[in-house]
Amino acid sequence: MKAGIEAINIYSGSASLDVKDLAKARNLDNNRFENLMMKEKSVPMPFEDPVSNGINAAKPIIDSLTEEEKNSIDMVITCTESGIDFGKSISTYIHHYLGLNRNCRLFELKNACYSGTAGFQMAVNFVFSQAAPGRKVLVICTDIARMSMAEGASMDLSFFEPSNGSGAVAILVSDNPIVFEVDRGANGYYGYEVMDTCRPIPDQEAGNADLSLLSYLDCSENSFKEYQKRVEGADYQETFQYLAFHTPFGGMVKGAHRTNMRKFKKAKPDQIVMDFEKRVMPSLNYCQRVGNIMGATSQLALMSTIANGDFSTPKRIGVFSYGSGCSSEFYSGVATKESQEKIKQFKVQEHLNERYKLTMKEYEDTFLINNELRFGTKNYKVDFSKNSNVFNTIKGKNRIVFSEIKEFHRIYEWV
Amino acid sequence: MKNQIIQIIKENLVEIMPELEGEEISLDETFLDLGANSMDRGELIALTLEKLDLEVSRIEFVGAKTINELAEAVAKFHN
Repeated sequence: MKAGIEAINIYSGSASLDVKDLAKARNLDNNRFENLMMKEKSVPMPFEDPVSNGINAAKPIIDSLTEEEKNSIDMVITCTESGIDFGKSISTYIHHYLGLNRNCRLFELKNACYSGTAGFQMAVNFVFSQAAPGRKVLVICTDIARMSMAEGASMDLSFFEPSNGSGAVAILVSDNPIVFEVDRGANGYYGYEVMDTCRPIPDQEAGNADLSLLSYLDCSENSFKEYQKRVEGADYQETFQYLAFHTPFGGMVKGAHRTNMRKFKKAKPDQIVMDFEKRVMPSLNYCQRVGNIMGATSQLALMSTIANGDFSTPKRIGVFSYGSGCSSEFYSGVATKESQEKIKQFKVQEHLNERYKLTMKEYEDTFLINNELRFGTKNYKVDFSKNSNVFNTIKGKNRIVFSEIKEFHRIYEWV
Repeated sequence: MKNQIIQIIKENLVEIMPELEGEEISLDETFLDLGANSMDRGELIALTLEKLDLEVSRIEFVGAKTINELAEAVAKFHN
């Protein structure tokens, strides 16, 4: 019995910002800034939201299915901390605009950046359970952080602003895991109550960056220890040819990897650097260009590993997911040459290259509109003339955009 | 014992921030004022616990803002 990823794709919006420009504008120390290991970040436009990103990520996957395969999708699970309604789930919009079969479960999951893993593991276990043989699950991990000048934000912005991204990862889970076959039962969990980072009020992050970092380190160690208890003979270095971590920014992953390599392998600094380059760097490629997309980030890192690693022979990948609050998990699976070919069909690198490169002024101009687009907005019409440079880069490419809120109901258009 | 812990913390800090090598480091200056960012501070706590072979959750030490404060917090767990 197999289960895992049949197809995976990302959509990270139509605009990006070079984070070096941001560091310069915010007077961030250049040497320290390099340690973040960030290159670009996706910036949400007024005509993009967690729904449109989710649909755009899933659309190429759905279009590649036969009608019969499409109708075998039994669940659409959205995983997010950027919900647009306390009751109605984003999955209902996504299900509608993708034209999926109505005999389908629709719901949403939350636990900060762990949400995508929660959704993915629920889907995998649905397949393993054989409650509905041959049926598939569509998992949409989608998150967004709109920057604004609002008062009360209490995060350390020198880390948060250069690394917060926008985007979605769509994953089709089934018993035909061409992209990533999960190791059944190979899961170590670790969670406890901690107030590190959170969204206690709509549209704003709050919290303690130091506490979050320490909690992440505790979890990356303890979730793997639990994995080791459940998987006989598991070794931090020998068992996994690649590692994909939840990546708030690359520097944090580097720190966690360094700590774990000292702890589990008593490795020396030069060995750690070599190991990082070899086993972890492929996972950072996409993350360094998109930024932290929270619930979708560990899946983004996994996809980046499969797209950028050497899979001439099958390789085992260890995945670590952490969500503030907190819940974490270390799990694993295997990808092959065929996995890489399948992933490349969606041309992610081209998508990232095609994003419009914003100037600092254009970036900061979005803050004003973001202020109008707060949670709970009853009526709103997107003014496409304001960002026509960016909008024109996606026009005619079969993308969907968020165009209006009418009595709280969101409306989307294919362009 | 606290003096030993202070020495270990100082060595770790210089290992993480080589620019402090040879500098007079005040035990009561905040890590932030010494130029340590969140990542440096996290690494400092992790490394100090490892050197002392202490199996304590790292989040216990989040409130320690200076070398003295961190040394005191660590000493509580060190017999």
